[in-house]
Amino acid sequence: MHTTERTIRVGGIDVHTWIGGRGDPLLVLHGAGGNRGFTRWTHEVAEHFTVWAPTHPGFGASGDADWMEGIDDLARFYLWFIDAAKLGRPHLLGQSIGGWTAAEMAAMSPGSIDRLVLVDPVGLKPETGEILDVFYHSPAELRDVMVHDPKAVPDWDELFGRTPTPAELEIATRNREMAARLTWKPYMHNPRLAQFLPRVANRTLIVWGREDRIVPVECGEQWRRLLPNATLTVLDRCGHLPPLEQPERFARLVLDFLGDARR
Amino acid sequence: MKLYYFSEMPHHEYPDAEGDKYPSLRLGFPNRFFDRTKAATNYTRYLDEYEFADQAGYHGLMINEHHSTPSCVNIGVNMTAAILARTTRRAKLLLLGNILPIEDNPVRMAEQIAMADLISGGRVLSGFVRGVGVEQWWANANPVHNRERFEECHDLILKCWTEPGPFRWEGRHYHFRHVNPWCLPLQQPYPPIWIPGTASPETAIWAGRRGYTYVPFLVPFDVARQLFDFYRQGAAEAGRTVTADNLGFLICAVTADTKAKALEAGRHFVWRMGPTLRGPVDWFQPVGMRSRAGTQFALRSRPRSLAAMSYEELVDEHFIIAGTPDEVADRFAHVQRELGIGHLLLEAQESRMDHPTTMRSIELMGAKVIPALATV
Repeated sequence: MHTTERTIRVGGIDVHTWIGGRGDPLLVLHGAGGNRGFTRWTHEVAEHFTVWAPTHPGFGASGDADWMEGIDDLARFYLWFIDAAKLGRPHLLGQSIGGWTAAEMAAMSPGSIDRLVLVDPVGLKPETGEILDVFYHSPAELRDVMVHDPKAVPDWDELFGRTPTPAELEIATRNREMAARLTWKPYMHNPRLAQFLPRVANRTLIVWGREDRIVPVECGEQWRRLLPNATLTVLDRCGHLPPLEQPERFARLVLDFLGDARR
Repeated sequence: MKLYYFSEMPHHEYPDAEGDKYPSLRLGFPNRFFDRTKAATNYTRYLDEYEFADQAGYHGLMINEHHSTPSCVNIGVNMTAAILARTTRRAKLLLLGNILPIEDNPVRMAEQIAMADLISGGRVLSGFVRGVGVEQWWANANPVHNRERFEECHDLILKCWTEPGPFRWEGRHYHFRHVNPWCLPLQQPYPPIWIPGTASPETAIWAGRRGYTYVPFLVPFDVARQLFDFYRQGAAEAGRTVTADNLGFLICAVTADTKAKALEAGRHFVWRMGPTLRGPVDWFQPVGMRSRAGTQFALRSRPRSLAAMSYEELVDEHFIIAGTPDEVADRFAHVQRELGIGHLLLEAQESRMDHPTTMRSIELMGAKVIPALATV
C-alpha cells in the first residue's frame, strides 16, 4: 500500500499526517504512545478505505500546542482538522486517548462523523477498578503491561526490539509530556462525558482486549450502555493494544463493521 | 558570613528493614509506619531545638516543607513559621520554602506569609521553591505546568504585597475576581525573597534578574559556581550587581566536643543522601517538570548521585562537615572562599541524631563557630 506524508495546517499548527488507501475516509487517532503510522492492520483496512492518520499536536513531528489543557481541546481541534483536510463526514477510529478524543468529537458534533470505532478508550471513570497511572510508571515498565503477551505480537521486534535513537527518545519524551498535559487531572477521564454520550446515535463499534491492564475491560460495558447504538467486541488473549496484538483480527472487525457503510 | 540552622524534622521512627521493602520512602511507603506518639514528642523536640538555635546566636532559622515522606514531616512551612514567629525573638525565619506550583490559592499564601512576618516583627525571609516531583504527585498538580505556575503564583503573591486592592487576577492558572488581602507584611515593600537551586539554569537566571538571594542545595562546588554564573548572567541582563549577600549555599554540618563524636554524629546525614532519595525517576522528576535545558545541565553537572557516595567521600567533598568547632569553622571558611557566599545554610540535624547531640552542636556553633565566621 502506497502511503504519503503530508503536513496539514490547522489553526496555526502543522499536523503531520500519514495518508494511504482508497475509498471513503477513515480518520484514525492514535494513543498516548504516539503515531506509529501505517502498521499491519492499517494496510489491510486501507485496501477499502482511505486512512488518514494524523499525529496529535505536541506529539511526534506535529507542531506544539502548549495552550491545550485537555482532551476536549484536542477534540475541537480534530473537528476543525476534518474541515481543513476536506474529509467530509469520515468514519472515526480512536485508540486509548485517541478513542476518548473520538468520543468527545462525536458528543460535540455527531453529524460531523459517520461511524465510530473506539479501541480500549480511556475517558470514562471506571465503575470498577482504576485506569493504570501511566505517568507513575517508567516507559520500560509500561511496555511490559501494555500488551498481553509480547511474544504473540507479530511486529514486536520491529516496533520495540531495538534501542531507540536519541531522536526517537526525544520524541517519546515529548509524546509523554503532551499526554500529561492533556490527561493529568482528572486523570484520563472527563467526569461529564457520560452525560453527553446518549447524544451519539452514530453506529459504534467498541473493541477491547480482555487482558487490558491499562483500562479495565469492564469499562467496555460502560461505554456500550451509554452509547445508544454501540456493540462491544472483547478479544481474548489481548491487552491494551488490539491493533498491534491481533492486527488481522482487528482489521477484519473494522472492515466488517464499516463494510456495509461503503458509499 | 551568616549561618542558618535547619532541620527537616525527620520521622525516622520505623525499622529500616521495613522501608527497604518499598521502591521508595516517598509516596509509596505506607503511613501505617507513622508513629503518632513519637511524632508528637519529636515536634516538641524539634521546635525546642529551633528555639535554642535562636538563643545560641544563629542568624536565621531555615524551615522547609515536604509531603508523603518520613524524611521531612514539616508539612506546612507557614504553620511552622507562625509558631517560630511567636516562640523565637531574634533570628530571621527563612522559609525555604513555600512550594508555589502546587499552591491553588496564592492570595491565601501571601496572607499567611504576611501574618508570620507581622507576628515575628518583620523577621521573615520568604523563599519560594518549585518542589520535587513527589510534591506534584501529592498535590496531583500537573508537572508540565510546574514552571508556569511557579512564576504566575510568584507574580500574584508580589502583586498582593505591592498593589493596593481590590484588584482582579485573570491569569492562565490562577483566577481571582476580588483580591484585597487584609494582611500585609511588616517589611516593606515585602520580605526578602530567596530561591534554592539544584540544576535548573532557568531558575538561576530568573532569580538573578530579580536580585533574589539564590542558594544551591548540596551540589559540588563546580556545579554551584556554574549556577552562580547563570545567576550573574540574569543579574547582568537586569543591570544588577551581585554581592556575597545575594548568594548562599546549603550543606549538612554538625560539631561536637571531639572530632570522633562529631564524625559519629555526621553519619546520620547519610540517610538523607541515600535512602530518602531512593526511588523511581518518575516519582522525583515526573514528565515535563524539568525543561530540556535543565535536564541536560543536570546530566552534565552531576555524574554521581549523592546516594552513590560513601560517608568519607561526602565529607571530603564538603557535602557533610563534621568536626570540632575549630575544624568546622575552618571548613566553613573554605566553603566561603570557594564560592564567595554570604549565607551558609546548615542542615544541622538528621535521621536519628539525638537531642543531646543536636543541642550540644547548636551550643558549640553559637559559642565558637558563628563568632569566628562573623568576619569571614
